[in-house]
Amino acid sequence: MPHLKSKLLLIYVLLSTSIFSQSDNDFIAILAPAELKEKANAIVRYDKQVVEINAYNRMIVTTNRVVTIYNKYGDRSHNAYEAYDPNTKIKKMEVRIYDAAGKEIKKIKTSDFADESAVSGGTLYSDSRVKYLNYTPIKYPYTIHYKSEVEMRSTAFVPQWRPIDGYYLAVQYSEFKIINNSGVEVRTKNENFEAYGIENLGESHVSAKNLKAIKYETYSSDIGDITPCLKSALTTFDMEGVKGENNNWEDFGKWMHTKLLMGTDDLPQSAIDEVKALTANTEDKIERAKIVYKYMQDKTRYISVQVGIGGWKPMLANEVDKLGYADCKGLTNYTKALLEVVDVPSYYTVVWGDQNIRDIDSDFSITEGNHVILCVPNNDENIFLECTSQTNPFGFTAGFTDDRDVLLVTPEGGKIVHTKVYSADESLQLTKANVVLDDMGNFTANISIKTTGYQYDLHEGMETRPLRDQKLHYKEYWNNINNLDITSIDYKNDKDQIELIETLDVSATNYASKSGNRLIIQPNMFNKVTGLPTRYDKRNLDFKIERAFKDVDEFIIELPETLKVEAMSEGAKVNTKYGSYEYALEKLEGNKLKYTRTYIMNKGNYDKEDYEAFRDFRKQIVKHDKTKIVLVK
Amino acid sequence: MKNLLTIIAIVFYSSFITAQDFKYGKVSKEELAEKVHSVDASANAAVLYRNEDISFVYTQDGFIQEREVHERIKIYNKEGYNWATKKVYLYEGGGGSKEKIQSIKGTTYNLIDGKIQKDKLKKDGIFEEDYSEFTEINTITMPNIQDGAVIEYSYKISSPFIVIDDIVLQNDIPINKLDIRIATPQFYVYNKLINPKAFYSPKLNESKMKKTFVSSSSSGRSVTGTTFDTSTSEYSDNVIKVTDENIPALKEESYAGNMNNYRAKMSMELSAIVNRYGAVEKSYSSSWEKVSKSIYESPNFGAQFKRTNFFKDDVTSIVAGVEDPFQKAFTLQNYVKSKVKWNGYNGIYTQKGIRNAYKEGEGNVADINLLLITMLRSQGINANPVLVSTRSNGIPLYPTRNGFNYVVCMVQNGQNYILLDASEPYSMVNVLPERALNWRGRLVMDNGTSDWVSLRPNSQAKETTSLNVQFNDDFSVKGKVRQSMTSNVALRYRKKYASMSQDDHIKSIESGKGAIEVSEINFENANDITEPVKLSYNYELSDAIDDIGGKLYFSPMLFMATKENPFKLDERNYPIDFTMPILDKYVVNVEMPEGYKVEALPKSEIIDFKEGAAKFSYIAKENGKYLQFVINFDLKTSIIDPTDYGVFKQFFEKMIEKQAEQVVLTKA
Repeated sequence: MPHLKSKLLLIYVLLSTSIFSQSDNDFIAILAPAELKEKANAIVRYDKQVVEINAYNRMIVTTNRVVTIYNKYGDRSHNAYEAYDPNTKIKKMEVRIYDAAGKEIKKIKTSDFADESAVSGGTLYSDSRVKYLNYTPIKYPYTIHYKSEVEMRSTAFVPQWRPIDGYYLAVQYSEFKIINNSGVEVRTKNENFEAYGIENLGESHVSAKNLKAIKYETYSSDIGDITPCLKSALTTFDMEGVKGENNNWEDFGKWMHTKLLMGTDDLPQSAIDEVKALTANTEDKIERAKIVYKYMQDKTRYISVQVGIGGWKPMLANEVDKLGYADCKGLTNYTKALLEVVDVPSYYTVVWGDQNIRDIDSDFSITEGNHVILCVPNNDENIFLECTSQTNPFGFTAGFTDDRDVLLVTPEGGKIVHTKVYSADESLQLTKANVVLDDMGNFTANISIKTTGYQYDLHEGMETRPLRDQKLHYKEYWNNINNLDITSIDYKNDKDQIELIETLDVSATNYASKSGNRLIIQPNMFNKVTGLPTRYDKRNLDFKIERAFKDVDEFIIELPETLKVEAMSEGAKVNTKYGSYEYALEKLEGNKLKYTRTYIMNKGNYDKEDYEAFRDFRKQIVKHDKTKIVLVK
Repeated sequence: MKNLLTIIAIVFYSSFITAQDFKYGKVSKEELAEKVHSVDASANAAVLYRNEDISFVYTQDGFIQEREVHERIKIYNKEGYNWATKKVYLYEGGGGSKEKIQSIKGTTYNLIDGKIQKDKLKKDGIFEEDYSEFTEINTITMPNIQDGAVIEYSYKISSPFIVIDDIVLQNDIPINKLDIRIATPQFYVYNKLINPKAFYSPKLNESKMKKTFVSSSSSGRSVTGTTFDTSTSEYSDNVIKVTDENIPALKEESYAGNMNNYRAKMSMELSAIVNRYGAVEKSYSSSWEKVSKSIYESPNFGAQFKRTNFFKDDVTSIVAGVEDPFQKAFTLQNYVKSKVKWNGYNGIYTQKGIRNAYKEGEGNVADINLLLITMLRSQGINANPVLVSTRSNGIPLYPTRNGFNYVVCMVQNGQNYILLDASEPYSMVNVLPERALNWRGRLVMDNGTSDWVSLRPNSQAKETTSLNVQFNDDFSVKGKVRQSMTSNVALRYRKKYASMSQDDHIKSIESGKGAIEVSEINFENANDITEPVKLSYNYELSDAIDDIGGKLYFSPMLFMATKENPFKLDERNYPIDFTMPILDKYVVNVEMPEGYKVEALPKSEIIDFKEGAAKFSYIAKENGKYLQFVINFDLKTSIIDPTDYGVFKQFFEKMIEKQAEQVVLTKA
């Protein structure tokens, strides 16, 4: 113990002289500030990353990071890995591991890191590799000290500073500095600095202190959107030997056009002849584009091959035509080349493709995006084509590239535009059913589900699956009905109107629950909401609903002569700023009941204080969707 | 006799070659025009033909294994496009010896306007990837795939290794015609193993074939150590052929466990190397007894037990004062758990050796459990290893060293025994982690003899729940839940929740239970594995009661009820695997709201499956101010046979319906 005391004293002395150099106390888990431990699986005790830019095509990144890890969920927070490729050289990687009291228990050198090709599940080939730490913790807490030095010849991706790069991660100290010896101007942009008290220590030199861990909450924005970030970009940069200018999106787009796209669009004469012949009698440009899009879909398939200028240069159109496959860039560029032949202008478009909506930053040009689509301008409207799908309808983007800022690459330069927003009315699901109930509580029903917009995207795709899988799918889809039997399934997929109609015949035994001589049925048989958003005692983060939608239901239930309605509700209405809901029950002639329901969800961003009200709205829906009718013999 | 066999083999072989249809390049218009598979209309693709020829060629470096593959695949629609990409995994051993792929050839065939269009696979469709230290992946992707296309590729793998990779006889798509030929030189003796759990079993044909080779006497280097000194020799190959047609696709069934347990495949396990006179030079496996012995004799297994000095002092003090052998075992299991953490790797052989694992504090399963056994033995306890195949590794039914990939510890005291696994922090005495619960294991004694022991838990994992229900004025309900869990149910719960924050634990309990609020959660014995898991919490539920026409309706189990039948398939080919027998007990006490009386109560009922193999009982009682429900689900077996599936599904349906039955209360 006296030993520890003297150590502490030493640390105190060190602290008073140079406040935030990394010190031995960072290696001692038990000395981590108590207020940072709350909700934290790990604490970044000290992190300093220095990016030394020596030329437009030379960059050295050194990392010195100390992380204390408290449980298995924090194991990955050490970030002790480096990706590399022919243009990136790992000069040093080293890890030391300390126990709770700060005693060194293990040392790992560069050669002891695991080394694997960094090919993600969907990717067929990529020349990038990764070296990473593969360590089994012996006891928690423990502290990892990671040091690395990496030399890069590409400067298109300057590391971004994101001190909080995950949930449940606290930061005691984090510093980031760019040393620019290159003479090339480096532009920077910071985000969310004020809310976290980020200090500016100089030009491109920032630090963060005592940032508390953030707990994950459902419906919140991506953590990257709400935490501090410093982005940097060189105005003259290099991407694997290709030099470029990047003062703004216009520049960057122009570079992409001239250096990555130009000269890749030659097509074999056979393809030119074919698309010309196919469109010979079609005047309208959009109609011509549709024909070409269909031609491309029938001829190709998507395969992910991430090679060629950091995975940013498309495969030659010629090659794509010959092989019949490519990745998103190759397929988009190929489609663009084909459209050019039939005199339809189109633009290569960089986007963040994901179900979650993410924008290309409109006011800071930087190498970003993970996907490429094709834009066909049509007067004021832009039509976007997903070229990696063999089945996607023309111009359909809902669910993956809808409602977001994207970068158009035009010969004049880059332009930021916004993709289509699907309104509630456009994202419709209309379910109609005719149900015949018997006096044992069994029923048969004929159901049709029509979907458009985003809901089309959610329903489309089952059509091509084997019958066995389709049946399983509907049994899951209607998991509120046990003993469900699917008698017939039919699809009408209208790709011109972008409208799917599923028609089914089903039956179920013992749908009604019994109680003496009563049968109790829930009339919302085919579109029941049961899930509620997670409850929080106190919500900390604002929330958003990314997409609007509308559900309309109409079920006619025919009762047997022997059953009479003893009790049922007439209906209910709920109106909130988040959306609206109503249902109604009425008796029709011939011992029939009609159940109607309309549920609209609005798109919107809301304050955290609104969350309980939103949850309440959803609770009402769950409650009303369980409404029961009591039938008596 | 020998000659006769050779003649038969030659005749057979030549008839095989004359099967013209399947010669590379001879794709017919009929094959291209086919729209759906003739037997399995749901198939997105089908293997029209697969030919795999495995043989050993004598070279300067000794025998080289050659595996030639020729495959023709029909792609019916877009869902089948991923069959146009083929990954070949190549193994790299130490010292530069590695498998190589050669002669890759591929063609895509499409029918365009009634004519066959061919597109050849070029270099740009072949990707080499150094996946890791031991693995290189070669990916082939075929050009110009369209609906209805037929692809064909062939390649050859040369391997300096004597081990033959498993031969897969069944895919996730149908195989129309299969021709497999495995020719192994007489000097290498292999056991062939065919998965007996597969639904489909192939037809085999075995024969012998004469071969000659030329070698020089001194320069030969063989990885197997077998060299020959004559310049020309005759020997014979043992030839196994599998020729079959219409092999059905293997289709996924939920709750079946590892589907690969049911895939038709063949393994060739090396059992011995013999010299030209048939005398055994080196023997490998051939019976479970021998397999166990050969594993035991490995330096990374049996030899480990000899080192005891490095822990002697620590262990002596740990078990000081403990007399009972089982108690000692428990104490030392806890000690090993606290000293050495599992690094996630399985294995029957130690990775670091028990000494280094002890020193470094981490190791694979063998490091950990062999360390435990060594410690126990050092205390005079009768402790032995039990070789196990994990659930993901499948069930070994033939004697093979590769059939085992895990090891646990058994302690015997007279007629009684216990099983231990120190690699899982929450495993208990006789409660192994689920990964190890795979039918049976092989106990290997100190003298090398061995025997089977059952791994399936014979006692039920119990979960007991008491649920109190009180009505609020607005017909929301509140109350308390108390739960107790034992053995594997407790292990599962601890694994999931022991290191989770209380807050997240509450969220997890609330999830999927509707408008519930959980508070005052108390999780006892999260880390004390000697006691059952005890969990209690208060709840408020706002949407449990339906007030319809002045009457109150509710189902007594509230949010505890099973609402959905997980068994949705109409029929199954493979068993349902519950992993362990289970007993779930619920006691629900409902306090009647003021001014109401019971109008209807669900009937007490017992539902039985297969004479008590599973039983569901539901007892409802009215007792003054209280309603009491005692509900049990008693599963005595852990495996449900596919022939009983229909009946079991109905049993489950009835159980769910019963839980949904409503209590009706009316105003008094």
